[in-house]
Amino acid sequence: MQITFWGVRGSYPVPGAATVRYGGQTSCVEVRSASGEALIVDAGTGMRALGNKLAGEAQGRPGHYHVLLSHVHWDHIQGLPFFSPAYIPGTQISVYALLTAADELNQVIGGITRAEFFPQPLASVPANFDFHQVEPGIEFTIGAFTVSPIALNHPFGSVGYRIDGDDASWAYVSDTAPFDQVLHKQHFLSGPEPLSDTDQTSLVAMRAALVERLRGCDTVVYDTHFLPEEYAKFPHYGHSTPDQALDICVEANVRRLVLYHHAPSHTDDQMDSIAASYLAKGASRGVEVLTSFEGMSIPIGSAPSFDEPTRPGTGVHDVPQVPK
Amino acid sequence: MKLRFWGVRGSFAMSGRDYLRYGGNTTSIELVSAAGDRLLVDLGTGATELAKHLMASEFGKGAGKLPILLSHTHLDHIQGLPFFTPFFIKGNEIRIMGADPTSGISLEATLQNQLAPHYSPLNGLENLAAGVSIESFAPGATFQLPGFSITTAAIPHGSMMTTAFRITADGKVVTFLSDVEYPSPDEPLPQALALAQDADLLIHDAMHSDLEYDLRKGWGHSPARAGVVVAEKARARKLALFHHSPDATDEMIDEVVQRTSAQTAVPVFAAAEGAYLDV
Repeated sequence: MQITFWGVRGSYPVPGAATVRYGGQTSCVEVRSASGEALIVDAGTGMRALGNKLAGEAQGRPGHYHVLLSHVHWDHIQGLPFFSPAYIPGTQISVYALLTAADELNQVIGGITRAEFFPQPLASVPANFDFHQVEPGIEFTIGAFTVSPIALNHPFGSVGYRIDGDDASWAYVSDTAPFDQVLHKQHFLSGPEPLSDTDQTSLVAMRAALVERLRGCDTVVYDTHFLPEEYAKFPHYGHSTPDQALDICVEANVRRLVLYHHAPSHTDDQMDSIAASYLAKGASRGVEVLTSFEGMSIPIGSAPSFDEPTRPGTGVHDVPQVPK
Repeated sequence: MKLRFWGVRGSFAMSGRDYLRYGGNTTSIELVSAAGDRLLVDLGTGATELAKHLMASEFGKGAGKLPILLSHTHLDHIQGLPFFTPFFIKGNEIRIMGADPTSGISLEATLQNQLAPHYSPLNGLENLAAGVSIESFAPGATFQLPGFSITTAAIPHGSMMTTAFRITADGKVVTFLSDVEYPSPDEPLPQALALAQDADLLIHDAMHSDLEYDLRKGWGHSPARAGVVVAEKARARKLALFHHSPDATDEMIDEVVQRTSAQTAVPVFAAAEGAYLDV
């Protein structure tokens, strides 16, 4: 299994000179099994470039694409209308998300292509869409992959996914706040609020379930939007710090943590320093910490190999180097 | 009047090395009168960059006043709204003005929809701390804003209408004609010509190169040539090609400017993110 990052940014796309190396597009990860089966996790703006690549590979032939959504905030769905395979007749697109009903998801995705937002309504897009509701704790399979949704702490709810395939496991944990404030059942919070005993119990249970599901994962991709000093200013925005992600990975005995969903304000130079400092912090606690960048592609589950390109001819190494 | 392009890209924000000189942010233009009155056109991702500058001024202290004109509500023209930080400061007074997108849905309902809890943790315009008013006008309306006179017109944009603007301040005229497609690029609509008449700067949709346009007819955008025809017929003094395709790299835009300049005596440039321009 191989995962490739097409968008690593949180909140909104950030063009410009300060983001050329880590990338400015929002959440989107491509997953490939050894036999070539594909999954897409999140449909942020990175999905446009992925779609162009997939449409090129398809050479005009219809395909079946599976898209797992963590949640439906704009930065996680905005790429969908620009996914070029959707405009190839006969294409099937299966969308999975945490909503109370698949009908509701149809409404939500259909809603972003209403006439006032986008020129072509979902109903007239050549591809056929089918929508599936996921539930935390209820596993399902898509081809070679076993997918297990995990409840996260984010406004209006969000799910992570543990994905098993090719005898290896990784997990996508974005977007989530740490587990000291309730966000998942709220639409909007003007600030941190006192916790009831019930809230406290549910947060402890949510965190414990997350750690349990991550146990045995080779790699965990985690929402690390904020640095600790930024988090102190925005403690109720629904995102975590690399330190909080590292605590979870240490407890779950995860080999490798990938920092993800970078704040739009973080420049390439800041990202370099974040990458270096958390690589060292992780090493001191037995976790390899990588910082995702657009175009990064890593194998899941293979032993670290610092010399051999993991995919011959691509120049991709087990420890990916940010472009100069 | 000074003008700064904060976002010039059409449809989709593009990051990366190929988009550095013209910029990858979607539509947002700031106009400032000699007396310091400010006006914004559209809230694409470029508005998030402008927001940082505004927050260093009176907007950071909750004492800013800003009218914003929306050409239409396609996502690339409003996607910066939830991240436009002056909205989060109590005391700022911000007016968002535009035409209702269709007869069935108002401008306010559309922006509420953008901030619906599924899509945004803001969960509605009422949670913006600043004073925000959403004001629908009828296309064709003319009105005054502090420091600026505005004339509007409805122009076809594929399956919907967009609003074009003629903005006058300090005796200078800027005409904004983006996201427009005429029945033929060689026959611009009379209301477009009227808005552009003797303009000091015409900002015109140039999403497609002349070569691409044949494949993209009916998509609601113009080839570069359409702006030239409008500028010549309306005797505009300068033409800015605008709303660049997300597939157009810096080098491709250079070529379009070169080819377009060769067709006309009107000075032509491609709109680029960056410094304030004197109109």
